[in-house]
Amino acid sequence: MSTEVAPTDKPMKLRYVQFATMLFWGLQTDLLLWAIPMAIVWEARFFINRRWSLQQRDFYQIADLTTVFLVGLCIFLYANRTEYHFITALVQWLPILFYPLILILGYSTTDRMSLDVLFYSLRRQKQPVTQTWDMDYFLFGLCIVAAGTNMDGAAFYFPIAAGLVALALLPLRSSRYKINVWVLAVGLMFLAGFMTQTAIRGTHLELKKRVQIWIANWVQQRSNPLKTQTSMGAVGKLKISDEILFRINVPDGGIAPRFLQEASYDLPSGNSWAVMNLKFNTVDHEDDFRWRLIDDNQRHPLDIYLEFRRPQALIPIPAGTRVINDLPAIDIQRNNYGAVKGSGMVPSPRYQVEFGFDNQINGPPDKSDTYVPKAKQALLSNLIATNNLNAEAPLKSLHQFFSDFRYSLYQDLTEQNDPIEHFLLSSQKGHCEYFASATVLLLRQMGIPARYVIGYAVQEYDPLVGMYIVRQRHAHSWAIAFIDNRWQVVDTTPAIWADTESSQSSLIQPALDLLANLNFMYSVWWNDQTLTDYENYLILIGLILGLILAYRIFTSEQIDIKPPPAGQTVNDPALSGNESPLYQLIDRLTQAGFNRTKGELLNDWLKRIGYERYIPMLATHQRWRFDPLGVSNEAKALLVSQVDESIERLNVELDEKTEAAPKLKLDNDQHKLS
Amino acid sequence: MFRDKVYPAYVRAMRPKLRRKRQGTDRSQALVPLIVFCAVLGLNTDKSLAYQLFALLLCTILISRFSLRFSKPNVSVHRKLPNYATARQPFEYQIVVDNTGNRTEADLRLVDIPLVQPPTRQQFRTESEPEEASRNAYDQFIGFHRFMYLQRRNTGITITAAHVPDVARKSHVAVRMQATASRRGLIQLSSTHVLHPDPLNLYEGITRFENPETIVILPKRYRINADVFLSGGRHFQPGGISASWSIGESDEFVSLRDYRDGDSMRKIHWPSSAKQNKPVVREFQDEYFVRQALVLDNTCVISEQLEEAISVAASFLLALNNSDSMLDLIYLSDQAEILTSGRGTSAINEQLEALATLKRSDESVNKLLSASLKHIKKLSGCILILSGWSAAQQAFAETLDRSGVPLRVFVITDNQSLKDIPAHYVPLPVNAIQEALSALSFP
Repeated sequence: MSTEVAPTDKPMKLRYVQFATMLFWGLQTDLLLWAIPMAIVWEARFFINRRWSLQQRDFYQIADLTTVFLVGLCIFLYANRTEYHFITALVQWLPILFYPLILILGYSTTDRMSLDVLFYSLRRQKQPVTQTWDMDYFLFGLCIVAAGTNMDGAAFYFPIAAGLVALALLPLRSSRYKINVWVLAVGLMFLAGFMTQTAIRGTHLELKKRVQIWIANWVQQRSNPLKTQTSMGAVGKLKISDEILFRINVPDGGIAPRFLQEASYDLPSGNSWAVMNLKFNTVDHEDDFRWRLIDDNQRHPLDIYLEFRRPQALIPIPAGTRVINDLPAIDIQRNNYGAVKGSGMVPSPRYQVEFGFDNQINGPPDKSDTYVPKAKQALLSNLIATNNLNAEAPLKSLHQFFSDFRYSLYQDLTEQNDPIEHFLLSSQKGHCEYFASATVLLLRQMGIPARYVIGYAVQEYDPLVGMYIVRQRHAHSWAIAFIDNRWQVVDTTPAIWADTESSQSSLIQPALDLLANLNFMYSVWWNDQTLTDYENYLILIGLILGLILAYRIFTSEQIDIKPPPAGQTVNDPALSGNESPLYQLIDRLTQAGFNRTKGELLNDWLKRIGYERYIPMLATHQRWRFDPLGVSNEAKALLVSQVDESIERLNVELDEKTEAAPKLKLDNDQHKLS
Repeated sequence: MFRDKVYPAYVRAMRPKLRRKRQGTDRSQALVPLIVFCAVLGLNTDKSLAYQLFALLLCTILISRFSLRFSKPNVSVHRKLPNYATARQPFEYQIVVDNTGNRTEADLRLVDIPLVQPPTRQQFRTESEPEEASRNAYDQFIGFHRFMYLQRRNTGITITAAHVPDVARKSHVAVRMQATASRRGLIQLSSTHVLHPDPLNLYEGITRFENPETIVILPKRYRINADVFLSGGRHFQPGGISASWSIGESDEFVSLRDYRDGDSMRKIHWPSSAKQNKPVVREFQDEYFVRQALVLDNTCVISEQLEEAISVAASFLLALNNSDSMLDLIYLSDQAEILTSGRGTSAINEQLEALATLKRSDESVNKLLSASLKHIKKLSGCILILSGWSAAQQAFAETLDRSGVPLRVFVITDNQSLKDIPAHYVPLPVNAIQEALSALSFP
């Protein structure tokens, strides 16, 4: 046996499966109002026999439009990233985005999307693009992934997705395997997939449990009002970042505070500071977003452009803050040490404080504010004695004392068991944490209550935005001392620290700042806008685009893919004349059991089966069938009547024959017997 | 230089992976990025269910790959190649798939693998892709497209994969493969792959059959007016008819002469010998017929012009080939070579084969000239195909022209030197050769 073949390739279409998948996607992502019409229009192409013959140019235009929408969507989602989770929303909306492109392909005469439609770079290529994608499967993939971006329906997502994937794979099944092999493979796929996803989920939960604790410790280093870890004692260079954390707007004529305080601490313990009194008190609020810390009329307003990304955070404010305004939070608490903690905070671009120039948010000193660890007392009293540190004019003498010290972000590798001791006695250089810690301890040793404060120094003014900028590296720590019945800032860190740190910033920092500023100004502008301002414009644009699309679709050339109705003349030579009535006669004869072998001429066949009487009719039939000039209508009418007559006669004959057949058989048997 | 550095990496990366046991279909190739996307999206299993899809698709691919092991086809294949094919013209050949197993083999595909020949370092450095200048700066810099172009050109053949119809047990099927050779010369086919799908039809298992074979690809040819022939009459051909006809002598009796030692006894004319009492032999008419030469100058360094010169030569070979004439092909390899066809000397195929495998010669054009001049007195006409128009080539044409033999000179040229060519020579611009040949009118 030997046959020859040429390669074949037939397009696959996902009927019904696509419909179900789109509904599934709509259900999962709460976009059912979109999904239902989309699915219906998509599925309708199996019932509508019209296709539009679109040019490559039309596809390009739709693809470009899709790209514009994609970019627009990305910008929209980025700008509203607080409201939508960027990736999730993008993936959920991808089917809508690509739908027009896939839809016009589905309703066009083209089967597969050539890749230059999707990839702009290929359009400029000189060689014709041969790679194509089956967009049915593309849309299927988009829908099924988008359906998985939501946590709703976690229980039934897997079985439905698996079922849909199996149905989508069904048309691809190879004829090499029986259906039961395929079912076995799909069953295995379900089972293995289910086990794998259970394992992934389990592993993640377990991992999360462990990592959560670790991350919590790491993240809270700085933002814990109860304890702060310093980097004192760490060897090597301290890494500082130039990232802009927030901006401060001082209204005209106003004065900026030197420091914004986050928290203060009274208890030294090793390389960290903690608080003695763990109690927090809830702050009263006048209305939902206005929090009153201190009743006082001295008020300088200040806008702080800091967006809290976490529901819980320490709020940096000036030490003399009276009121915090525009801060949406469920609860705001403060402690004795000036730490103001918000919980249940909602992201909002800025908050406003009204402050005075005293230091009232730190509570009155108590016994713990004069505590000095026993191990350091000898060292400190020794230092006070030798350097003439004077409790009468503590600030002046302390500044005098520290004037010999140098500011440095770098610490040598030495065998230091006490970094403070090393700092005070031998190295005499360090960063703000060293200075602040040492100052607090020295003040206490002199009998003055003192605390260790962390916060930010406000020192960089940005003329472009007209605001103060606070960067990561402006994070600072200093001491406060209770002198003359009020808390006073004692910042012994050499004033050069700001310049030292800014000199370390990267060369492209100005460019990064510019970008950050633009982004900031944009988001300030954006936050002033509301969607309703633009609603009418958006509807108008959508309407115009829709009209253009409809116009283009309906004015382009259309092709009817419905097969031509029977009896209609067609130009295909293989089909012309197939309406000849003689075929009815041939069919009738075939029904009666006279089989015509393949390739047997009608003439020979009629002779063989003993119906030579029909041969005269063949002449007209053959002319009807093959003569390019055709047959006259009279001849056609004659043939029709002849055939009708013949069929009637034949029917009668054949009926007689079937009745006579058993008898005939009997005759034969008798003949055999005799 | 950057290209020198990336060259080995390209060779390694673009070498056919002959040890592979399976290959993905375009479905699985689309699935892999989807799986990666799901993995990224589903990293946080608290936020999305994409990890479930990831698990499902990953298992689908693994099962698909794994199941290939259980359905290897029991077949053997052998190729039936034609002796010759022509460059840039699609041709067909057969691969016979023999089912040696006890089951019907269904849904197989055949892929015939040519011997992939990466460009040499030298080629990669010096030769360029046509219209390379139109590529963007990055593509030009990394040279990947150039590498792929040269590799395709060196390999020289593209073969379309073919679907195998069901092969019943213990029977065979001949599958028609379609191929197009992109260049002339010897093209090597290395192995045939029989691909079988897995039940999900995402991957194909590869069963490899090593069957190295070589096919001669004749040069691309142009249509030449059949009336084209050289002026000049028939010439006496030393060697007589035996050089022109299979065996035997002309029947035409010319004269008698005395016997010389070595004459065949069969030539003795007995009546005359008896009359003169000494052996006398008959002399027969020697043959005169047309003998033409096709001199091909294959010294041009520009490969495009050389290729066109060879194509034009092959076209003339076929146009001039008839049973009444002899045709000498003169070209250079290490020395000047002369190949004669017609009148029983050899088939034209030998000359076409020589053209098919002809390489550029580093020898001087003068070597070809001296060989042609030595040969020229036997000729009744000569066609000279020059692959360029350098001073040496001009001198060549003029010297041959002065020899007195009817001569037609064709010069393959780029458009720039078109105007330098004298009017009685025919210029053939590289990109319009067919037009120039069609417009020819011969005296």
